Amino acid sequence: MTLGGSGGSSVVVPRNFRLLEELERGEKGIGDGTVSYGMDDGDDIYMRSWTGTIIGPHNTVHEGRIYQLKLFCDKDYPEKPPSVRFHSRINITCVNHETGMVEPKKFGLLANWQREYTMEDILTQLKKEMAAPHNRKLVQPPEGTFF
Amino acid sequence: MGADGDSSGVDGGCSVTVHIRCSNGSKFSLQTPLDVTIGAFKVVVAGNCDVPAEQQRLIYKGRVLKDEQTLQSYGVESDHTIHLVRGAPASSAPSNTPAANLGASRTPNVGVGSNEGVGYGGAGSGGAQFPGLGLNGLFGSGGGSSPFGTGFPDFSQVQQQLTQNPNLMREMMNMPAIQNLMNNPDLMRNLIMSNPQMRDVIDRNPELGHVLNDPSILRQTLEAARNPELMREMMRNTDRAMSNIEATPEGFNMLRRMYENVQEPFLNATTMAGETGNDAGSNPFAALLGNQGSAQSRDGSTNLSNTNLEQTGASPAPNANPLPNPWSNATGAASAANTRATSGDTRSPGIAGLGGFNNVQDMDRMLGGLPDPSSLNQILQNPAMMQWMQSLMSNPQFMNQMLGPQMGGLLEANPQLREMLQNPEFLRQLSSPETMQQLLSFQRLFSSQFGRQQPNQQQNQGGDGTGAPNNMGLDLLVNLFGGLGAGGLGMPNPSNVPPEELYATQLSQLQEMGFFDTQENIRALSATAGNVHAAVERLLGNPGH
Repeated sequence: MTLGGSGGSSVVVPRNFRLLEELERGEKGIGDGTVSYGMDDGDDIYMRSWTGTIIGPHNTVHEGRIYQLKLFCDKDYPEKPPSVRFHSRINITCVNHETGMVEPKKFGLLANWQREYTMEDILTQLKKEMAAPHNRKLVQPPEGTFF
Repeated sequence: MGADGDSSGVDGGCSVTVHIRCSNGSKFSLQTPLDVTIGAFKVVVAGNCDVPAEQQRLIYKGRVLKDEQTLQSYGVESDHTIHLVRGAPASSAPSNTPAANLGASRTPNVGVGSNEGVGYGGAGSGGAQFPGLGLNGLFGSGGGSSPFGTGFPDFSQVQQQLTQNPNLMREMMNMPAIQNLMNNPDLMRNLIMSNPQMRDVIDRNPELGHVLNDPSILRQTLEAARNPELMREMMRNTDRAMSNIEATPEGFNMLRRMYENVQEPFLNATTMAGETGNDAGSNPFAALLGNQGSAQSRDGSTNLSNTNLEQTGASPAPNANPLPNPWSNATGAASAANTRATSGDTRSPGIAGLGGFNNVQDMDRMLGGLPDPSSLNQILQNPAMMQWMQSLMSNPQFMNQMLGPQMGGLLEANPQLREMLQNPEFLRQLSSPETMQQLLSFQRLFSSQFGRQQPNQQQNQGGDGTGAPNNMGLDLLVNLFGGLGAGGLGMPNPSNVPPEELYATQLSQLQEMGFFDTQENIRALSATAGNVHAAVERLLGNPGH
């Protein structure tokens, strides 16, 4: 979770550099490679709107599914967590059934947000959440439906 | 990597290197011009991996790439990574209709071929061929919801007749039409996948998906169905083994696990199918269960009533809860489900074996669940079983598939182990009775050690009135046994090496995942014999649940 955090704790990386770094990681597929993310609109100089996908983990009901998410990094981004919303319908405990919003109260990473956390962390943590015992066997809405 | 060299001549102009990352972790690079469409690009990708173009789903920057767009339009540049996932073949919804038609068009064939006077038996008999695969649900619901449904007066009768008349079954199985059907895995898969209920079951149990994706398994199951002696032998043996397992305390838990994971979802799905047909009587699966129960069980009457009890329990709310727990009512339901699990397995010898062994963990679980080695001996020495194991083992592709998802972590960390498992010679050795015996003595040793843990667990279970399965302890036990199995086979003497060294790669993996407590990690890893997946589960399960 705090990959590279030891270096970053003394130097505060400005928002734009931080997002550019994440953009590059997303493009190059650096990281554990089970999630993918990128910017929606390359012309948005504020780099606010992002799309992410999570590939459903093995040995769960989610296996083989591709979940799309929308992440919105407001101007206070690395200080405050982005808002995270599932675009593909999913049934897991930390996601609002009506809106697809990931509810920070039920998702530790957002509730205890630290500025070293990245969108990649959010996606991988959500993927872990899908594989958690209380989520892995839940009945899922049909694939290809959206919130 | 290698592709850099050989494809440099393809297009000197604007071709760039793009990395493809598969969902199973493997990675490769290829050269491509950026102005190709995604559709064409997929064909190129298909040449480098085993996923056909129409099943590929490519993801880049969090977006699923559409066939008609180009790489350029998504902003792909040199050195970027695209993720590849194997998806269901496109157009799963429209395939519903052709599948139903197919089923119908086969009906007259079958009826004509089997001159036993069951001309109307097409759909019903189709279901009965695959007792264990749950295709009954497929054929049955097709019949139930289609106009043909009303045409077939009593499915259960047909099925009963079929199961009691092995000759009829064999005749049917030997028919070219059916053989063709069986030899065409795509068709089978389509048939299965086009049924929403079946899909749901498979979605919920990815292990089953693997079974269905392997044509050889389907064929083996049918082989067994075709040979009545083999089938009876298997049934009898499974039955006996089950009763042995059942008699031991740990075995009971094991059966419960098997039941919860496989049997119940099947049942749910097929009950649902019955509901859509608006007529419980036309649910062939339910009827089949009932019939089979009374026809061949040791304890016919209770079994039948239990079956009914189970059905009524499951049918009102099949969807609200994925796994309605029959264990909540400790005594009554426990015996019901227990016999049910047994009858389920006797009824479907092929798939019971497959279901159990498809999943390596299950296999270990099975081994682990047998403090009484004689029953395992019995299973292992049964010629049918041996034959089956042999054919299984001699198919390295299937072995890989089976090992892939379960032991991915372990294998990744131990490339030698993977190599070993890909060597058919080794597999043959592995499946030899001597090795099995050796393994068995390992198990015995361990089971005596764990003997004192079991009563403890029994108690917990008794007190667990809500029925939330007390999996933690079981998991632990299972993992330990699982680890033993893998460890005993893969790494002959792991005991001399300190765990930090032995599991160095796994440890760093866990660290990366955010588990920082090294001691705890080591403990989890040694308990799971280095299976990262299982270790993570253990680590996550420890504090909360």
